[in-house]
Amino acid sequence: MEEKLEPNEMIVHLGPQHPMQPGPFRLNLRLKGETVVDADIELGFIHKGIEKILENKTYLQGITIVDRICYLVALVNEECFVGCTEKLLGIEPPERAQYIRVILEELTRIQSHLLGMGEFGEFIGFVSMFMYTIREREEVLSLIDMVTGARITHSYLKVGGVRDDLPDGFKEKALSVLNNLKKSVDDFEEMFHTDRIFRERTVGVGVLTADAAKNLGVSGPVLRATGVPFDIRKNEPYLVYKDLDFKVCTETAGDCFARVQVRINEIRESIYILEQCLDQIPGGPLFPEGTLYGRRTPVMRVPAGEVFHRVEDPRGEMGMYMISDGSDKPYRVKIRGPYYPTLQALPPLIIGTTVADVASISGSMDGCTSEADR
Amino acid sequence: MDVAEILKSLTGAFPEAISEATAESEIRARSYVDKERVREVCQYLKDSLQFDHLCSVCGVDYIKRNELEVVYHIASYDHPVVLTLKARLPRENPEIESIVSVYWNANWYERETYELFGILFKNHPNLKPLVLPEDMLGEWPLRKDYEGFPNKTARNLV
Repeated sequence: MEEKLEPNEMIVHLGPQHPMQPGPFRLNLRLKGETVVDADIELGFIHKGIEKILENKTYLQGITIVDRICYLVALVNEECFVGCTEKLLGIEPPERAQYIRVILEELTRIQSHLLGMGEFGEFIGFVSMFMYTIREREEVLSLIDMVTGARITHSYLKVGGVRDDLPDGFKEKALSVLNNLKKSVDDFEEMFHTDRIFRERTVGVGVLTADAAKNLGVSGPVLRATGVPFDIRKNEPYLVYKDLDFKVCTETAGDCFARVQVRINEIRESIYILEQCLDQIPGGPLFPEGTLYGRRTPVMRVPAGEVFHRVEDPRGEMGMYMISDGSDKPYRVKIRGPYYPTLQALPPLIIGTTVADVASISGSMDGCTSEADR
Repeated sequence: MDVAEILKSLTGAFPEAISEATAESEIRARSYVDKERVREVCQYLKDSLQFDHLCSVCGVDYIKRNELEVVYHIASYDHPVVLTLKARLPRENPEIESIVSVYWNANWYERETYELFGILFKNHPNLKPLVLPEDMLGEWPLRKDYEGFPNKTARNLV
């Protein structure tokens, strides 16, 4: 950004630490009065070099590292990494393991959306929203904890399957939590729809049209709020998503309100998917039979090759490009996180708005800077 | 649109620039592209074949072949095919045409590839480091011959 200022102009640095940010990045705003005339973003405050670390770890150790890309969606990151490895090895997890993965990933989606909504409320001064959603999220996290033994970084997926079976009584506990959650989601929706301040700060703010969103390259709820039904679970089904019945939630307005609405509807769809999964989960082994892969898989060598695998993250399209040279460590892993293009699309969206709207637009993206920096 | 149709159209339009075009599966295709004509090929993909979504741009260091590769993953919002385009570059003074004028979101991916691999993107609007500090420029940390911790940037810190 040019440092030379015209009269009435000033530069405001939001960040690296600011309450409206999902993580440390610096947003430089050039203001004319209250209006943003130019904006740019500086990244790199929590760059961890995960792509380089993964080159020096075996595939089994890598599962632990990809958890740390973003702790909120650790299981989806694992799914992407493990999915790449499985494609290179040419194995497929048995059906029960696939169902368990879907159950955990949908629970991850629910808790990520709940936290995203709560944080968004907090950013725009609706602080009690955070209290409501975090309470429900804790129930969902304890369900995940029941299966994986950890609230956030799980290291639960293994190549070819999952580490443990579902514990006894999981189905009953899950159904009661989901029933409560359904009621709370209705309450949240009513709260969002009737709160006058919330509506004034979100309706018509940060509007993206479908063409603009496609040009900016965003995905996930931000894109679906503009009416584009782009969902990797439908477009390119992985695991057992092709056997499950669900619809892609879209809205047409493309503003901050529509993004929150998409998240609320997606939580409902996830609950519906979970109910189907709990109903029809088959018995059977957790690892493919007749192969070496199991809970205690030793160091393994992966055949040379390359693969690009995509999964649907709560924030959009998560992809990994993995190259193997035949040794026990990946030659190169490129992580394509969903928030990276969304964050890149923030400056063009906020130019022309007022400073107060920056918080709502940035918050409605439901970000995670850790994933953008990697 | 299926993979065979896409590859046929692509090789038909650019017989010299596209080489080794192969279909890996029903939804994945791979091809090498001449480094001088990346921008033209991308423009064609976007305009004629509905490839309107750039998934990622990344670099790969093949130190044994003494080559760098820039890998583009180009997908679409309408069909599930992902095309992997690769361009071979020499390890000394690697240069390639920027595709920001075609895909807007290539901006940050190219900046990141530049600071991590030292690949220069010509005609990029704002080629400067993104995730690394300025004084790390020239280290090219994701190349395979990067030596790691005891280097000159670490000395500045301790």
